[in-house]
Amino acid sequence: MIKIAIYGKGGIGKSTCTANLSAAFASLGKKVIQIGCDPKADSTVNLLNGKPLTPVMDYMRMHDDEPEDISVISRTGYKGVLCMETGGPTPGLGCAGRGIITTFNLLKQLELFEQYQPDVVLYDVLGDVVCGGFAAPIREGYASKVLIVTSGEKMALYAANNIRNAVENFADRSYAKVRGIILNRRNVADEEAKVRAFADSAGLDIVADIPRSDDIIRCEDAGKTVIEGAPDCAAAQRFFALAQKLAAEEPSDE
Amino acid sequence: MKNVSRIIPCYAADTSGVCSALYELGGMTVVHDASGCNSTYATHDEPRWYDRQSLIFISALTEMDAIMGNDEKLIADVVSAAHDRNPAFIAVCGSPMPMMTGVDFDAAAAEIERRSGIRTFAMHTNGTHSYINGASEALYTIAKEYVRDIPKAAGTGVNILGATPLDFGLGGTAASLRQWLHENGFSAVSCFAMGDSLDSLKKAASAKVSLVISQTGIPAAQYLFEQFGIPYVCGIPTGTEFSKIIADALKEAAQTGTPLYPCAIGNSADRGDITVIGESISACSAAAELHLQTGRKTRVICPLPFEPACMNGALESPASEEEIERELAAYIPEIIAADPLYRMICPPQAKFLELPHYAFSGRCFDKRIPDYVNPNLFRL
Repeated sequence: MIKIAIYGKGGIGKSTCTANLSAAFASLGKKVIQIGCDPKADSTVNLLNGKPLTPVMDYMRMHDDEPEDISVISRTGYKGVLCMETGGPTPGLGCAGRGIITTFNLLKQLELFEQYQPDVVLYDVLGDVVCGGFAAPIREGYASKVLIVTSGEKMALYAANNIRNAVENFADRSYAKVRGIILNRRNVADEEAKVRAFADSAGLDIVADIPRSDDIIRCEDAGKTVIEGAPDCAAAQRFFALAQKLAAEEPSDE
Repeated sequence: MKNVSRIIPCYAADTSGVCSALYELGGMTVVHDASGCNSTYATHDEPRWYDRQSLIFISALTEMDAIMGNDEKLIADVVSAAHDRNPAFIAVCGSPMPMMTGVDFDAAAAEIERRSGIRTFAMHTNGTHSYINGASEALYTIAKEYVRDIPKAAGTGVNILGATPLDFGLGGTAASLRQWLHENGFSAVSCFAMGDSLDSLKKAASAKVSLVISQTGIPAAQYLFEQFGIPYVCGIPTGTEFSKIIADALKEAAQTGTPLYPCAIGNSADRGDITVIGESISACSAAAELHLQTGRKTRVICPLPFEPACMNGALESPASEEEIERELAAYIPEIIAADPLYRMICPPQAKFLELPHYAFSGRCFDKRIPDYVNPNLFRL
């Protein structure tokens, strides 16, 4: 099973990259689960024709008891991708990180992986690894690889370095390892050189180079990924290539 | 406000369940919690504390350690204490504060084991569940980690599963069970986990059947059944009548290899003339004996987690103070048997039989906690 957590600075395009990667894996015939780990709960919206689903934390807020079935906290999106969102507490209250842990415990209790038997699980995680809750997706049994999304902007690279350091703090534990960087271009000057310099200093690969694309914006306005809405565009082709690369690296479960 | 109790207390928490279940096994139990909380787990919920030592420690978690996620202090302190004390194993438990900060106890336990060389397991407690969850996980973990396949003992060897003072106090139930087994042609192979050593528990696979005397023994029983084919019987051989049923059930299960739930006869599908409130297997066993003696309809209210098969297929039971009070007022049983602290929410017209339960009222009535195997206990 391919299990990847995707991290990066807020607003850098994590959800765009994750949803497109999910759609690309699904197009390759893989059974995919995408779990959005962000209180904004908008990770999967472009796999669902722009129609958001009920996040787990919203369900817990509305009901006294935990859900007994995955179906009430998930929806099936583009090419069968099972979409879920952790959601979070009312902004300014509670603990969003704890919400992620609670959601993961619930998914374990509901035997999500055993019941659904996915080939690919993608976790789209809010921003930085700021606390225990946001490290939950990289714990043993969840993701085994981390992809960091960054542009050539200084603050994005700063965040990428923080994420890499945070993951390295857990080197003694059986946590996920950083697989590489997705360069999501913002068309800043010397962008590739800046990101490559960071990647080289950190000993990481740039696993995908996603061009700045009006196709992505146009498709997202229509509630779609480019894999669905513009599969022949350059950005879509890069996501297909990344999915193929990651699939080829994974030893077969059979 | 569904789970608010205005009058009755709440049951002991999951952390106390772990401490109680592991108390006699020579391990070291560490609760990751603020200093001072040890008295809750190890004294208020632990009657053996006064005359028997056990390695139960608190990590003395501070506000800053919690905020900073300083797992290293926990890990280093546990490793240091383990080097001094050389326990048979280490169990690390959570509490509400680390729950909120998301401490990864599995990873911490693996690190402690790597550094200390002593088998270490994480107990997934957080202080918000009942002792049933904690004690169940602890007894299951001991079965899973230590029981290995060995030849069967001669005769009909029996494992007693689910014995902790939280359910039976020091009222003598565990010791009397061994005597009862002997008198009925069985032999006790192990008792999870009162009056027995870890070495005895390791031999549990030599038994032909398990006797589950509280819900805390169910996961261990299921594990021994699935792993070694040892069937189990749920119920306590209480009173003059129900004890005969348990003896027959043990023989039948040992012969057929099928789990049996004789205690279920204590819980009729509808409201009864006699109602017993408490932990599912002990309450159902008490109700079964009362039913057999009187021929009256009996019913069990279990506010704790339970196995439906033990409760005659019931999927839920009134659990909160408000629900229990409303339910009892709706049919006013002739007799109610429960911990004395329930008396205040029971209809005054009902005759009240006291069944003190350590996990509910602690030391308040500890001298009156019954020996469930006493044949005259439920003679009306």
